[in-house]
Amino acid sequence: MWPVIVLLVGPVLAGLSSLVIQRARLLHAVNFTTMVALAVAETLLTRQVLADGSVTTLGTLVYVDALSDFILIIITAIGLSCSLYMWSYMDEQVARGVIAPKHLGIFFFLFHMFLFAMVAATMANSLGVQWVAVEGTTLATTFLIAFFRRKESLEAGWKYLILCSVGIALALFGVVLTYYSSVRVLGDASSALNVTELIGVADRLDPNVLKLAFLFILVGYGTKVGLVPMHTWLPDAYTEAPAPVAAMLAGVLETVAVYTVLRSKALVDQALPPQFTGNLLLTFGFVSFVVASLFILLQHNYKRLFAYSSIEHMGLAMLGFGVGGLVGTFGGLFHLLNHALAKALAFFVAGNIHRRYDSLEIDQVRGLARSQPITAVATLVAGFALIGLPPFSPFVSELLVVSALSAQNFASDTMHVGRFVAVTVSDEMRSLGLVGVFLFFGVVLFGGMMARIGAMVWGTPQDGITRGEACTVGHVPVLAMIVALVGLSVMIPESLRTLVTRAVHVIVVR
Amino acid sequence: MSESTQLGSQLVDLCSVLLLLSCFAIVAQRRLSACVDLFALQSFFLATTAALVAFLTGHRHIYVAAVLTVVIKVIVLPRILRKVIERLNVSRELVMNINIPAGLLICGGLVVVAFFITQPIIPLGYLLTRDSLALALAIILIGLFTMIARKKAVTQMVGFLVMENGVFLGTTAAAYGMPLIVELGVFFDVLVAGLIAGIYTHRLQDAFDSVDTSELTVLKE
Repeated sequence: MWPVIVLLVGPVLAGLSSLVIQRARLLHAVNFTTMVALAVAETLLTRQVLADGSVTTLGTLVYVDALSDFILIIITAIGLSCSLYMWSYMDEQVARGVIAPKHLGIFFFLFHMFLFAMVAATMANSLGVQWVAVEGTTLATTFLIAFFRRKESLEAGWKYLILCSVGIALALFGVVLTYYSSVRVLGDASSALNVTELIGVADRLDPNVLKLAFLFILVGYGTKVGLVPMHTWLPDAYTEAPAPVAAMLAGVLETVAVYTVLRSKALVDQALPPQFTGNLLLTFGFVSFVVASLFILLQHNYKRLFAYSSIEHMGLAMLGFGVGGLVGTFGGLFHLLNHALAKALAFFVAGNIHRRYDSLEIDQVRGLARSQPITAVATLVAGFALIGLPPFSPFVSELLVVSALSAQNFASDTMHVGRFVAVTVSDEMRSLGLVGVFLFFGVVLFGGMMARIGAMVWGTPQDGITRGEACTVGHVPVLAMIVALVGLSVMIPESLRTLVTRAVHVIVVR
Repeated sequence: MSESTQLGSQLVDLCSVLLLLSCFAIVAQRRLSACVDLFALQSFFLATTAALVAFLTGHRHIYVAAVLTVVIKVIVLPRILRKVIERLNVSRELVMNINIPAGLLICGGLVVVAFFITQPIIPLGYLLTRDSLALALAIILIGLFTMIARKKAVTQMVGFLVMENGVFLGTTAAAYGMPLIVELGVFFDVLVAGLIAGIYTHRLQDAFDSVDTSELTVLKE
């Protein structure tokens, strides 16, 4: 019970105290201490979940099972590294006059509210409370995105607010429909949205209502995930947001949004054949993957490049969940973690480059290897990891997803993406065709990313760019991410493997 | 069906239809302040529907939702939006992405679509509020359409709030209201969203000298 309380109350306290604290150093200290406390609490919670299977506490408000605990690990890990990174990033921005010192407190307040909303969304037992928390993340982050108050950032923030609010309103209708079907079975109105109650009766819920509910939920939360065609806010928001915020948005918020979809999927799959949700996820995932890898070819702004790569990776994770089964789902979940690590690293790097070169244009950045050697290495690692090269962990999870995809047997009477690829051939050919198209766009992506990252890393820096890079606190998370990316590709710690395997069994119900 | 339930059901239907009608009125309205007034009127109908359902079914917690609707959606949010409009130099929306007659026609189509989509799930509903679910979906779709068709930040916000009203009608109709904690959370979110949109329109006005979102074209592919 205590770890749960720390995880929920910690960010709120830190956020509120940020509003009154004036000194920057104290702000960072509070922020960092809170994140360490959260990480410790999360470790204890994980131990409890591993021992007991799941934790229900605070009445029945909080429910943490292996799946939500896995997501919480991602939240706290990325949050902790962000707090270290912000230490040097925010101080430098204040020193350069980009951020007024008095706004620093507000920044941390919003940051912690964002964190609180995400933790609440992950731990909420009731799907309704989960919705409230997800909408809370939108409200907390919109001003973080527009924090620099330039024209572009205001535009990005407004677009984000409007598009995500619309998406989330549709998701609420989906939640209402779920409630509509469950309240008839459960009777008790106050707990009819609780996951703990729904798990037991999901197979008795009305399939027609659930179909409609899942469509609304997928489109709604899918907007937050950034699935094509609801992705249009995403590149703008990631580009305009300050680097640590972009890292949180890309690494954590997307993961939480995927989690909300998975929760519904686990329910709906009990009442309907898994092909229904699977094919929807496959279609959205495939379209996102293909469109994003094409758009990557057009980018001339490195933050936008990383933003489109996020869409692509979420598409890839969705492919894993869409194929389903033990391998596909394991790959999808593991990919969420790997993507969070790689993408946070990418945006940390982007923040470093931006502060040195004062430009987001790839053309304006030359010779990183000479001007910022550590950042250059990190850029290469982030780039390699994001295109799925070994020895970095996204390679492992992508391989899992692709092998699940190629082993997939399509039921011939249902609608699926396979039809777009090969209409009349046998099932094996169809899945091979799908994998072929997938790999083709993987190659497209490889070319697009490598050309741009190479252009930034090699060459001679322009005149006027300082050479050499002093080690700061901000380099600690960068190095930690690199170690984690390489480490996870070699071996997955036994406890993490157990946790993810159990999370897989939460999603794959039959 | 007893006579009193029949009467009650008809009253609820009447109120829901009034909600839908006010949607059409918003779509047909060029003046920004009138749009806000119509939204307030719609929210009032919503509160009446909720109170009616609460009275007829004896679910007390729906009263809470009805009162909150009056406070937040009839009084507070319209007031914020009116203040925003006062500060702006425009009172009418002359250019739209889709003109009014075509818009009304599309909205008519959306109502048909909503009834079509909800047809298979309607028979599960409570007798009292059966048809309101289809109307709720229609209102959500029209709200979405308003956000697409209009260019001013204020009307886009009204569109969002209309969608929210539709969802709320859906909850009341489909399940006699959500658990109280969820409903309170939803109201809180809507209120904060309204406040944030208000702040945004100020900042957009200062930065772009306009709240016309078609001016927001700095970020292009």
